[in-house]
Amino acid sequence: MKLDVNALGTFYRMAREGAGIAAGRLTHMMGVETQVGVTKLNFMRGREIRRDFEDSTEKVGVRVKLTGAIEGYSVVVFERESAFRVVETLLAEAGPDAEIDGDVGEPDEFDEMTESAATEVGHIINSGFIDGWADVLEAVIDVSTPEFVEGVSAEPFFGDIDEAPGDDDLALLFQSRIETVGTEVGFNHYLFPKRESMSKLLERLRTSEGIEYDKLDGFDRMAERGAEEVAETATTLTGIDTSVEIRRLNFVSLEAIPEQVAEEKLVGVAFEFDGMPSGYLLFLFDEESAHEIVDAMVPMEVDEDGFGEMGTSAIKELGNIMASGFLDGWANVLDTTIDHSTPEFIHDMGAAAVDPVIIQLGENQDFAFVFDTVVVADGREFDCEVYAIPDESDLERALNNLDVDRIEDAKTTAEFQEVDTT
Amino acid sequence: MKTYGTEPGAPTPVQVGISELVVSDGDDTLKSYGLGSCLAIALYDPQSGIGGLAHVMLPDGDAADNSDRKPGKYADTAIRALLRRMVEQGANYTAVEAKIAGGSDMFEFESFGDGVGQRNIAAAKEELEKLGVPLEAEDVGGEHGRTVEFTPGTGSLVVKTSDGDDENGVTEL
Repeated sequence: MKLDVNALGTFYRMAREGAGIAAGRLTHMMGVETQVGVTKLNFMRGREIRRDFEDSTEKVGVRVKLTGAIEGYSVVVFERESAFRVVETLLAEAGPDAEIDGDVGEPDEFDEMTESAATEVGHIINSGFIDGWADVLEAVIDVSTPEFVEGVSAEPFFGDIDEAPGDDDLALLFQSRIETVGTEVGFNHYLFPKRESMSKLLERLRTSEGIEYDKLDGFDRMAERGAEEVAETATTLTGIDTSVEIRRLNFVSLEAIPEQVAEEKLVGVAFEFDGMPSGYLLFLFDEESAHEIVDAMVPMEVDEDGFGEMGTSAIKELGNIMASGFLDGWANVLDTTIDHSTPEFIHDMGAAAVDPVIIQLGENQDFAFVFDTVVVADGREFDCEVYAIPDESDLERALNNLDVDRIEDAKTTAEFQEVDTT
Repeated sequence: MKTYGTEPGAPTPVQVGISELVVSDGDDTLKSYGLGSCLAIALYDPQSGIGGLAHVMLPDGDAADNSDRKPGKYADTAIRALLRRMVEQGANYTAVEAKIAGGSDMFEFESFGDGVGQRNIAAAKEELEKLGVPLEAEDVGGEHGRTVEFTPGTGSLVVKTSDGDDENGVTEL
């Protein structure tokens, strides 16, 4: 199975188109404004998908089986409370004539009525997505009758699906989020395609030589090393125990990248890197985390507004060493060297820090693979988001040069220098 | 972020995401969040109150293949698309005025050359000049991010920087 950027681009368009249709129908049905949030193609391991579900919130899902141009399962997942709120709105919309069994406000259980309403909503959303995909593919996709699922782990949602990826399998996951404006109703949508069906589709959509799917798997493992390196570096330099919380390989349109960044003032360190691949690397911290880092790295009391010269230099230094670690992780696996620029400090709106990078890449590409990493600390403020965005044609070449068998042996080591905070 | 089913007069500002453009004839507020090197281009006809906002990312759409599909992505094609849609809704071409904000250069990377922000500003000014649309006001360049809110009915373009909540961070163009 091989994929290329054109094929992934078509998948991305399918996801966007589907989310748009689903949101439109939801608006029509519920009479509320809806908004499509970030749409992503994720390459995720089965283990991570399952972990995503184990945040102890109760969830409700509606799933359908697909046959035809795409084979697999399409699943809409609501948080349980969201589902109740949707049902409430829907039944209120149906007018006073609708028979409502008791108070739907804070129910403990789904009864027949509410379960059927939730299933209806889920089905309409699923169908919206599927119609969008069928439009983009100009092909027919058949949908089974919807099935209502609830639970707190991934098991009831995917446990009995053969197509669901094993713990170590890298799955291509379509993920979209739709939210209603003003009320807190949101849901996630997942598509689990059958491998053969995906392979056939990729073959049809591919316009270039492309990348072996298995190499992508190797690349993901490589990114994992990069992420671990960042966490280790941060721990060594700041003395704050950190760990990798999220690590994902996304394929998104360039425009979607700044949308994903928090709408607040952030502190960041940015680099350009050069080699095979070249690209951009950004570390973004919320202000509190940045202050915590400065406190940990600069021994004396810093009594300055903002971050001052000393704070800025400490954060740049940390960024610099994390960047070396991250990129060394890549370079070792790819058996190449990747150089990076001196750090650029930024203390500004998060999106504004990202848009220059996507503009520069936008001259030659519409989509990007984004290596999303979130490093967090236990009990202390240390949230660091890492965005590594390589140049697309470089990445394709780098991937093709990748010897997948080598990855297991490659060791990554960052050199720790004295931190210069003067 | 695209909103479906926006009701007229809804208090929430209409978000204009990167590469998008929105034309409105009401008192809607059009908002683009977190512009770095991207440029916000606001056009309006003060007589009819029809106007629009584009959040452009690149300078030259005429040189790109996909500018037909995504006119809002490029400074030149976005300005033409805004004008066309405004005139279709009843704006008077000769009365249209422009305001722009954004186009910072946040980083000095080698690969950025002269600066991605500067290129967007230059392209927008050139296109406005070509079409004879007067540039009434601008808040461009520098090394900081901006969030803009544009009300076509009044032609007011409010620019906020990240020191946003005090008076220094807010400029009305």
